[in-house]
Amino acid sequence: MTLVVEAHGIAKRFGQLLAVEDLTVEVQAGDVLGILGPNGAGKTTAVRVLTTILKPSRGTFSVAGIPHSRPDEIRRRIGVLPESAGYPGVQTGEQYLQYHARLYGRSRAHARASARSLLDEVGLLDRSRSPIATYSRGMRQRLGIARALVNEPAVVFLDEPTLGLDPAGQKQVLGNVRAIARERGAAVLLSTHLLHEVEQSCSHVLILNRGRNVAVGTVSDVISRAAAPRRARLQVGPEDADRAVSTLASVREVELVEHAEGQPGSLTVRFGARNGEQGSSPNDAVRALVDAGIALLSFELDGARLGDAFLEMTEAT
Amino acid sequence: MSAAQADGKPRRAPSWPIVLERELRDLWTGGRALVLCLAFSLLLSAIAYLVATNTDLNFLEQRESVGLTLQVSVAVGSLLALLVAGDAISGERERGTLETLLLTPLSRRQLVVGKLLAALSLWLAAFAVTAPYVWKLGRGVGIVVDALAVGFVVGTLLAVFLASLGMLISLFSGSNRFTLSLSLFVLLALFAPSQLPSSAEKGWAGELLVRINPVTAGEHFIGRIVVNGHSWSEDISWLVAPVVAAVLFAVLAPLVAGRFLQLRGGVEG
Repeated sequence: MTLVVEAHGIAKRFGQLLAVEDLTVEVQAGDVLGILGPNGAGKTTAVRVLTTILKPSRGTFSVAGIPHSRPDEIRRRIGVLPESAGYPGVQTGEQYLQYHARLYGRSRAHARASARSLLDEVGLLDRSRSPIATYSRGMRQRLGIARALVNEPAVVFLDEPTLGLDPAGQKQVLGNVRAIARERGAAVLLSTHLLHEVEQSCSHVLILNRGRNVAVGTVSDVISRAAAPRRARLQVGPEDADRAVSTLASVREVELVEHAEGQPGSLTVRFGARNGEQGSSPNDAVRALVDAGIALLSFELDGARLGDAFLEMTEAT
Repeated sequence: MSAAQADGKPRRAPSWPIVLERELRDLWTGGRALVLCLAFSLLLSAIAYLVATNTDLNFLEQRESVGLTLQVSVAVGSLLALLVAGDAISGERERGTLETLLLTPLSRRQLVVGKLLAALSLWLAAFAVTAPYVWKLGRGVGIVVDALAVGFVVGTLLAVFLASLGMLISLFSGSNRFTLSLSLFVLLALFAPSQLPSSAEKGWAGELLVRINPVTAGEHFIGRIVVNGHSWSEDISWLVAPVVAAVLFAVLAPLVAGRFLQLRGGVEG
């Protein structure tokens, strides 16, 4: 696969404030990278540096193989939906896209064809001739995504694209995000503070906290690295509960097993490292129960979600 | 879709005509320019009515009534260009639309040139509104053509100067309110010398003050040609300040934009 974003040691300082510090990341074509972080983590600043709106105070990067010293060329190869982007209410969706397509050098006729095609792609063709002032927030975000695609970019940056949208609007926008990577082969950098968006849509994740990247990799890598499962809640038949406790107590990785108070058949298990191993895999515990002929009615891990990894990483630094 | 886009090979032609076309459409079909022109027409109607009645009552010479109307038209028409140019960048900042423009390959200079030319359309419209009033007030004394010509030249120079000034303020301003406040303050300061008693303009210092100020020099030139009946060549020196100011600021605005136009107002720290 081709690397389309390479950033090494990027820093951005505003006076005394260090907004981004030592950001290093690589993204391949077709990847969807979720940039996660709490408010003020530096996500928007990082996106603005990579999209050439802000100059880095330190570090180097390239986008689509073009070094950051040639920002005009980079802008020709990227599409961006900025955070809280505004829209000219008097223009129609079609006029808006045509205008931007023409700014990228398309002829009038091709700009029109491109605008209608993109509106169709994001499900706005039936509102193409309505003024943007009449669009809902979700429609505006989808229009913004369409605008980010007018130049057939190699990399698409979306900064909080689902901010303020209802669940249906979020679903539509995330569907568009996945389609960009899958059908166009473009890399997508999706900045968000919503963890489920990253779990649903991203192949890779970068977690930022106070301007520093605290984790980067595939979603599953980051989860397993940061927050391996430590506790589980499981349900067996009440008649099997005591037998399940004794079975689990004999499993190497299980540190503690106890009945959940007032809930017959419900058990809480704590996994721990033994003999210096990263012994937190629940597989042996589940296998032991099955081997003992105990019917497992439910099994739920705590600490196996991106949210747990995120909290651990952002609270620890 | 890809097929449609693949055919349209990007070209590197100047982008300012695209910006100009879009800005003109937004200004005129969006209604903002029409409202400003309507307000201008009402003001000019009131002024024309007052000078016409004063002329009928022999309080004003016919030439004076044309000169006064023209001076008001030039002042207010160039003010309209200033207002629209002032909104050009800080307004985009406030509406959150500047970032998407800065993210396109459009150069910042071309963005400013397109917007500046669109702002000047307000002055051209104001002049078109003024022409019938000048014709009505000036017919019979043979000054209509000269009055329209001098009004167009001076008004265009002042509109270019003031619109570029508004654009420069807008480039560094974080809010439209600040842009408009500062622009109006500068405009009033430029017009202030025209309120001095005529005796104050007679000394060398007074004349210098009027001559180096493009606004007062331009208005003075209109008075000399229309009211006093001088020839253009006789008083051409009064056009030096408006010409210098128009050229200087029209060149400065795109140059400064190329260097300093950024997402937030002010200067990057």
